[in-house]
Amino acid sequence: MDEINYTLAGSWVAASLRSASPLMLVLLGETLTQRVGIVNLGVEGQMLAGACFGFGAAAVFHDPVLGLGVGALAGLVLSLLHGVLCIQLRVNQIASGLCVMMLGTGITSYVGRVFVGAEVSGLAPLAGQFASAQSFWQPLLTQLTWIAPLAVVLTLVAGVLLFRTRTGLHWRTVGESSTVAAALGLRPRLVQWQGLLTGGLLSGLAGAVLSIDYTQTWAQNMTKGLGLIAVGLVIVARWNPFLVLPVALLFGLADTSVLRLQAAAVNTSSYLLAAAPYVFCLGILVVTHLRADRDAHMPAGLKAVFNDR
Amino acid sequence: MSAAPRFSLQNINKRFGEVNANSNVNLDIYPNEVIALLGENGAGKSTLMKLLYGFYTPDAGEIVVEGEPLVAHSPKQSLRLGIGMLFQQFNLVPALSVLENLLLAFPAAPWWQWRRRRLTTDVLACLQRIAPDIDPQRLVRDLSVGEQQVVELAKIMALNAQLVILDEPTAVLTPQEVERLYQFVAQCRADGKVVVFITHKLADVRACATRIVVMRQGRIVGDWRTETVTDNELIQAMVGKDTGLIVNRIAPPKHLLPKLMVKRLNVSSRVGTITAMDFEVSPGEVLGIAGVMGNGQRALAMVLAGILVPDSGEVILDGVSINALAHETIKVPDNVAYIPESPLTNAVVAQLDLATNLQLRALDALPFLQWGMPALHEAQHKLAAHDVRPSDPHLSAGALSGGNLQKLVIARELSRPVQLVIACYPTMGLDLIATRNVYERLFAQAEQGACIIWFSEELDDLLRYAHRIMVLHGGRVQSIGPVASFDRQRIGRLMTGHAQAC
Repeated sequence: MDEINYTLAGSWVAASLRSASPLMLVLLGETLTQRVGIVNLGVEGQMLAGACFGFGAAAVFHDPVLGLGVGALAGLVLSLLHGVLCIQLRVNQIASGLCVMMLGTGITSYVGRVFVGAEVSGLAPLAGQFASAQSFWQPLLTQLTWIAPLAVVLTLVAGVLLFRTRTGLHWRTVGESSTVAAALGLRPRLVQWQGLLTGGLLSGLAGAVLSIDYTQTWAQNMTKGLGLIAVGLVIVARWNPFLVLPVALLFGLADTSVLRLQAAAVNTSSYLLAAAPYVFCLGILVVTHLRADRDAHMPAGLKAVFNDR
Repeated sequence: MSAAPRFSLQNINKRFGEVNANSNVNLDIYPNEVIALLGENGAGKSTLMKLLYGFYTPDAGEIVVEGEPLVAHSPKQSLRLGIGMLFQQFNLVPALSVLENLLLAFPAAPWWQWRRRRLTTDVLACLQRIAPDIDPQRLVRDLSVGEQQVVELAKIMALNAQLVILDEPTAVLTPQEVERLYQFVAQCRADGKVVVFITHKLADVRACATRIVVMRQGRIVGDWRTETVTDNELIQAMVGKDTGLIVNRIAPPKHLLPKLMVKRLNVSSRVGTITAMDFEVSPGEVLGIAGVMGNGQRALAMVLAGILVPDSGEVILDGVSINALAHETIKVPDNVAYIPESPLTNAVVAQLDLATNLQLRALDALPFLQWGMPALHEAQHKLAAHDVRPSDPHLSAGALSGGNLQKLVIARELSRPVQLVIACYPTMGLDLIATRNVYERLFAQAEQGACIIWFSEELDDLLRYAHRIMVLHGGRVQSIGPVASFDRQRIGRLMTGHAQAC
């Protein structure tokens, strides 16, 4: 009896981690981007590009790892466009981000038609068969691929990079004030490029993980606003990579619960249930916003997004 | 001076558009000097020192360091030459800790920033020496302005500066912090460093300088050893003509019937606390309020202005309770003039033009359509009358200098008859002439019978112009009485909470 409970718990954790991995990656990317003082609404488009082109490459070359790489690059290329517009040409970041998002949606809808119904092999689970069949670890090892551990490790690495290295110090400084950073001899634009491109790479990877590892299919607009959710959840995670993991897991848990509820044939519209994680997300946002020090963690440079510079 | 100059500025010229910021300036800086660079706002002091620091490039002239002329000067090169400069705007990142801010200044800081690396230890040692009471893990935004300045100084010292340039360092400090800064300058001199102290306050000059250089309109107009020159000579050199800088003190009021009454006031709010405060002010009386910043001044000013509702107690002006009004609408009453501290953030909207800023007190009385010429004419008239420069009503308020901004606020607040004037640090950061203008306008209101509540940190001015002085400490009235019963030392002791009896 206990063993079955453990297995059940394990499979919930595994499902949550699996479902949370794409969000974790894109949330981490957006966190790093906003830390250098740039808001990138284009992550939605970048994720879609990563999902579409990554899936295409994986299907054509029968190599999921290559697909992940191609997906990450697709995200990078779109973030490059955002950078040219808002770092080099000083276009308003909101406008530029929306433009990148629409571009990503449009291109993938067009290109992605040929990939509908294609098949990818997906990634191998961490362990094929586990000796002791009934334990907490069994579902974790058989249901998870190496993506989830990678995502977890990346958040930790990013946290250490941001808070314990000179590079991270420079990123945070630029995110607080480009003017002060320039006065201190840093090159703000270069630093912003670093943060933005890292974010682009991670959001592309997140999209590819979604299509290649998680759903193993391509569908038009399959990210369903996950990129934009990430932009909102950055606030909940207080621009802190170490908080990305718990925040993404909360959302993953909500997402999994909906699937379980559907599987249990709850007598509610599936559309309503599908909206539940977003309502949940909104709830967290309100709760965190009620805190007294809600603005204390926000990089001051982000306020400049709404000013003429 | 027998030794060769360590730093030498030769025939320096610098123009900004139409303005000659520096013309043909020659200045030699010798070892072991503390030079006070004295002058009014806009005299070209900061420009000259920013040229020396490499922040600007001179249009003509040469900068010579230890006999070597500099080519392609830059702040980076200054770092190598041991020139450090404390700017008026600090280059600190508020959201980062003190230690992180110090480490940022070092291009060669370790990439992996765990504690206990050599540089980190050096930097910490340097901070420890200047300010043992500042915890390096605190965030800079939680520090007071004075503490932030100390962090900047630690940064300069950690970079091993031999020439330390301080740009108006005392403008933002409390009296205690000023003392600490003087000690710092003395310490620098003892360590064999050279200090250039840019200021327009004579007190600074007397406290630390060995040599005084006065600038006016981009030129050096005087150069003395400190002990060989009188204050009057300095003022005359700074101002140029023999203008009387002392405003006449207006006669104390004859009727002692109170016009403003503050009874059992208690406030506990975000901006400060006030406990059991009682005082009265007669018409035509100037009540000067002294105290270390953050001892309830802000809360008192806001309650008197009717924009903060007290927890209990009453403020009565001319028989009308101000705080009863405040319960209905949070608004400064029409017969009260309120000149808050830091006018740029508290009194004007920087992005709006001067004409609109002049009308801000009567927003709900404005016509729906905004194309009337009368408002513009009125604005032009007020700007001219108060000598706001430039007097273009279409200019945005953010473009004005500190002195002119204060004139703009005064033009708005004091152009109509008022019963009460609340002036919070109205001359902070202003030069002598601008200060005199502010005082003239302020005291003219008292002559017409208004009560003046005047918060200030310029103790000498308080003693010179106020009729009565009230010292605040910890949100309470530490002492209140006629000006004759106070002197600098007594106020200083009262401000820090000591010596109630004497």
